[in-house]
Amino acid sequence: MDVIVCVKQVPEVIDADLKISREGTGIEKEDLVMHINDWDNYAVEEAVCIKETQGGTVTAITIGDDESEDVLRRALAMGADKAIRIDPGERELDGFVISKILAKVIKDLEYHLVLTGVQADDDNSGMVGIMLAETLGLSHAAVVTGVEPEGDLARIRVELEGGMDEVSRIQLPSLLTIQTGINEPRYVSIMGIRKAGKKELTVIPVANLGLSEDDLTPRTRIEEVFLPPETTGAEMIEGDAASVAAELIKIIKEKGVSI
Amino acid sequence: MGEIYVVAEHRKGEVREITFEMLFKARELCRTFSHRLTALLLAGKDAGFADDLAKRADRVLVFENDRLETFNSDLHKEILNRVIQKDQPFMTWIAHTSWGMDLAPALSVKTGLPLATDCVDIQAEDGRPIVIRQIYSGKLFSRVSFKESPGYLMTVRSGAFLPPDDAEMEPGEVLKQDIPADLAEPRKTFVEFVDTGAGEIDITQADLLVSIGRGIGEEENIATIRELADRMGATLSCSRPVVDKNWLPKFHQVGTSGKSVRPKVYLALGISGAFQHVAGITGAGTVIAVNKDRKAPIFRVADYGVADDLFKVANALKEKLAGA
Amino acid sequence: MVTPYRVSYWSIESVWIFYVLAALAVAVFVFGVISHVSVWSRGARRQGIGFSGQGIFNLFLDGLLGRRIFSGDVAAGTMHLLILWGFLGLFAGTVLISADYWVYHFLKGPVYIGYSICLEFFGLMLAIGLVWALIRRYLQRVTRLERRIEDLIVPVWLLVVVLSGFLVEGVRLSAQRPEWGGWSFIGHVISLFWSDPRGALSIYPYVWWSHAILSLGLVAAIPFCKLFHVLAAPLSIYMEDRPDLPMPAETVTGDEEVFSSRQMIFFDACTRCGRCVEVCPSAGAGEPFSPREFIAAVREDLLLRHHPLKGLDWFSRWSDPRKAEKPDLDPQKVWHCTTCRACLEVCPVYVATPKVIERARSRVVEDGTQVPLLLSQTLEKLYKYNNPWEASKKNRAKWSQDLEISDLTKTGEEDPLCYFVGCTTALDTRAQDLARSFARILKHAGVPFGTLGKNEPCCGDIARRVGEDGLFEEQMESCLALFGRNNIRRVVTSSPHCFHTFRNEYPTFQALRPPDEKVHFDVRHYTQVIGELVSEGSIRFEKRLNIKVTYHDPCYLGRHNRVYDEPRKVIRSIPGIELVEMSHNRANSLCCGGGGGRMWQQDLDSKIKMSEIRIREAAETGAEIVITACPLCLIMLEDARKTASLEDTLRVMDLNELVVMALGLRSEGGE
Ligand SMILES: Cc1cc2nc3c(=O)[nH]c(=O)nc-3n(C[C@H](O)[C@H](O)[C@H](O)COP(=O)(O)OP(=O)(O)OC[C@H]3O[C@@H](n4cnc5c(N)ncnc54)[C@H](O)[C@@H]3O)c2cc1C
Ligand code: SF4
Ligand code: SF4
Repeated sequence: MDVIVCVKQVPEVIDADLKISREGTGIEKEDLVMHINDWDNYAVEEAVCIKETQGGTVTAITIGDDESEDVLRRALAMGADKAIRIDPGERELDGFVISKILAKVIKDLEYHLVLTGVQADDDNSGMVGIMLAETLGLSHAAVVTGVEPEGDLARIRVELEGGMDEVSRIQLPSLLTIQTGINEPRYVSIMGIRKAGKKELTVIPVANLGLSEDDLTPRTRIEEVFLPPETTGAEMIEGDAASVAAELIKIIKEKGVSI
Repeated sequence: MGEIYVVAEHRKGEVREITFEMLFKARELCRTFSHRLTALLLAGKDAGFADDLAKRADRVLVFENDRLETFNSDLHKEILNRVIQKDQPFMTWIAHTSWGMDLAPALSVKTGLPLATDCVDIQAEDGRPIVIRQIYSGKLFSRVSFKESPGYLMTVRSGAFLPPDDAEMEPGEVLKQDIPADLAEPRKTFVEFVDTGAGEIDITQADLLVSIGRGIGEEENIATIRELADRMGATLSCSRPVVDKNWLPKFHQVGTSGKSVRPKVYLALGISGAFQHVAGITGAGTVIAVNKDRKAPIFRVADYGVADDLFKVANALKEKLAGA
Repeated sequence: MVTPYRVSYWSIESVWIFYVLAALAVAVFVFGVISHVSVWSRGARRQGIGFSGQGIFNLFLDGLLGRRIFSGDVAAGTMHLLILWGFLGLFAGTVLISADYWVYHFLKGPVYIGYSICLEFFGLMLAIGLVWALIRRYLQRVTRLERRIEDLIVPVWLLVVVLSGFLVEGVRLSAQRPEWGGWSFIGHVISLFWSDPRGALSIYPYVWWSHAILSLGLVAAIPFCKLFHVLAAPLSIYMEDRPDLPMPAETVTGDEEVFSSRQMIFFDACTRCGRCVEVCPSAGAGEPFSPREFIAAVREDLLLRHHPLKGLDWFSRWSDPRKAEKPDLDPQKVWHCTTCRACLEVCPVYVATPKVIERARSRVVEDGTQVPLLLSQTLEKLYKYNNPWEASKKNRAKWSQDLEISDLTKTGEEDPLCYFVGCTTALDTRAQDLARSFARILKHAGVPFGTLGKNEPCCGDIARRVGEDGLFEEQMESCLALFGRNNIRRVVTSSPHCFHTFRNEYPTFQALRPPDEKVHFDVRHYTQVIGELVSEGSIRFEKRLNIKVTYHDPCYLGRHNRVYDEPRKVIRSIPGIELVEMSHNRANSLCCGGGGGRMWQQDLDSKIKMSEIRIREAAETGAEIVITACPLCLIMLEDARKTASLEDTLRVMDLNELVVMALGLRSEGGE
């Protein structure tokens, strides 16, 4: 089974202090560590697991500058066979444009399954995968936590809200957006990454794809980004137990928890 | 600004809360701009939700068919595409749920309408929608505009708009619609629902964690806090010493050798705030610490602190909650 | 008087059968040895066995005199010497008699008498040694000894060979009745059993043949049982002194063995004596790990995979099921070891389990699919943020905020003293006090120094310990580059782990480089620096501290680098302080459980933690404070103190904190 997996490099932000860029529509990325988007990491692992059990190939694709080849090399080290980087140049991208670019490249490849992460941990929009599916005319499912190929079909598990999963059968070729926790991504050693340098990595500039200007025009635009209100140290709540308790309940409710 | 269409989501015979949340917000917008609010219901035969929806919308368009008993992105996309092409609503809202995430992007490509996902606020300015979204794991907010278009799609974050209890209004009309005859067979078929909620507790999924540390003193005291947690609808978690002493199973443990949690509120009772523990709560929205030691390091990372005996506070909380 | 001598093959017919059997036995023996050697030859980066003076010296002390077997267990040492020398003596006797028969007949007259007496003695020694060994194992039931079937068969077989040898002699003497027979005192006693020479004569061939077959069988069996250590152990002991050649991470490919030939020899030298199990803190805490089983499992795995016969059908029919079982080569087992080196310290044949473990880990890490989650997260952090704790680089210099310490990456000083704080000391809130205290001490003593501030990288210890050698190499490179850029040639570390890595790992890894590319710098542990300041009088303790303390030797300071005295000297130089030792101290100190990457492992602890065992031992001394000299020990013991409910009676302090307290400098930590 041939699998294509789309990956993206994103800044790691969990413990970082984010600074808004001068234009006010993005963040300063200089001090941030770039890494593979967490969801994509699971998608690559899933692709490699499928290859290991079913045979076939895995191709990893990303759109990004040459630094983002790191995530491709990582995917290669995990077990992907070849990698493609599409260089967008200075173009402004949104989920729609990204899906159009990917579709144009993937259209000419051999595959039974396309995997993406559910979303990327930068814009958190979670639309590229399913847009790509629709553009390619593939069957699709989002937030997938289980894939078992069964001939022309695959039995899949989708994670719904509130502790419920939905099991269904889907016709291949298909596109699935992969949810974290579907597997345990393997550790990728530095040596493994260095060795993966020998595998095939193709670079395609976006300009060579012959996409229409309409396809390359973003449908949405970030006008402004802003920080949530700042918190500093603990605000001590004083008083007798009863008033403290009342205050705590008020705070908890304010934070959107119903008790 | 024009009409708003809201796609209802339902599962296992029940309309999902998010649907009412969307209808509540949409009605607010529609009132301001005096436009019609339409709920779209794709459901199995005699689902009987239409009336419920009608209480919250000006009208409900109902597509009933056995094949629509559970969500199917192929069928939903086909039907909604035709509705949108025909009626050309200004905005179409879909829940930002697993199903919504499977539907909205495909519908956006199919209809050619721009999409913004996971919106926590939706406004209209100069005849065009503006949405607020969270980015970078919620560390930042963004204000997003759209390319000019005959209509717009958005998916809505659950919990973003909380309707008051009296959100119902004069029932709107319920209009049964015909299913297009030429619908293609869906490429995905439903097999079953599997309940995953049962079994061990997953502290990483909780919105409210009540977490106990060595300050709990004795194993017997855990019952008191468990009671408090139950009353608050919270999940119980703990620091490592509590696990080391075998007072709670390992899956309750927060920290570097336990789990990283991201509740909306983390209530730490009798936890000193050791580095290995605090590393596990960096993702928490609000941290409230109760510790009798005013100098405990936990107060450096907490948002709110109570320097008092944890049992005194716990009991007071219980009383307040029982009284309420 | 007739000249005493012995007729070889006296009254034995068809001697050719003996030769055929002997040839067969030797062939089997040689084949067995070859299979071992062929496994050894598969080891990574083969090392030649060149001449080594130290090797010879060790061979003499540890081999012939059994130094390590004696140490800590005189009974075992004596027993082993009896067996070893008895065996060697009899072996020499056999060589001599063969020479006498084939080459030159010299065993006659007084020489022969002397020969006979010696052989009697050697035989007796061997017999006594063997009986003693059996008594120790089966009657005394010494705990570290196992009672597997092989453990019974081998000594009993040997014993039967020896006793049957005496019997052969007795029967012969009885049949021949030579006048010099009395010299062979044991044989003589036995010979008295037969009053009639003809009776003895009639059974002689049977006795002779039994003895011959048993002996030849034993020779053939040597490479296939624990007796193989008679060959492998000397080799292993001889090679001990040689440093491990570095194995650049590139060399670790899928099929190549991660173990070096030398390590493979170690495996074969292991006699399952169990000394390592006795001292291993992991095994001691009841974790499902034992260095002995681990070594045995690796050895068996290697043997099955590289056996010269592995292509044969019947061999794989026999080996496949065994391979499938492989219970002890479970990838999870490699994480228990804290690389504390206690086992290597006592192993009579220098089996370097901690090094072997590191190699085995590298295989798991390169494969990637079985790396425990917490560890893989830690490695990710190390890679991205150069520390194992936080997903950020920004807090590295926070501990020094109010201390005004110069940042060597900014000042551009010539030959500064660089205080290398280390990840855990810089970031862990408890361990930070160690750094603050040390900085205060240096300032108090007027020693100019600086740190690398926010730019301080990880030295690579964790990566190296857990087998992520690619990462280790990168971290080493960036460390060396940073030192080079800032003219740093003198480094002092908080952590014995950084100290060890700089002192021992960097030079080995740099060994492959051309001389002009090597970066040299001098590294000391802070205990050495404070020790020096105390000696030269820059630090003088005036205040009396009337407290009783005990000192916990960190593994990487003590056993790995032999720094035992400096910290004790510093403690003793504080007036009024009483230093008591725990029952495990210095070279046999007990690991706190934090080293070798164990700090970043979960779910390996058994009911009782290593650190808890250690802290209880400290409490038993009656000391009020346990002093240690390592941030990891500090955290582990501090944690254990709470788990063991010793909070009210025992405190845990770093040596720095003690010094700050004794000097009356301000310190906020250590309670
Ligand atoms: C390798 C390693 C990994 C670790 N991983 C983790 C981990 O994943 N998670 C974790 O939690 N820990 C971990 N630890 C342990 C960690 O270092 C601390 O020891 C631990 O978090 C302390 O737990 P605590 O705050 O509950 O206890 P303590 O530090 O003992 O704190 C108890 C607190 O309770 C307060 N208190 C006592 N009685 C009362 C009362 N009646 N009312 C109010 N307050 C009271 C006290 O003032 C005190 O501050 C790890 C340690 C190591 C060495
Ligand atoms: S490794 Fe060394 S100490 Fe351990 S059983 Fe083998 S020979 Fe004995
Ligand atoms: S190094 Fe220490 S922990 Fe590891 S096997 Fe040897 S004794 Fe056990």
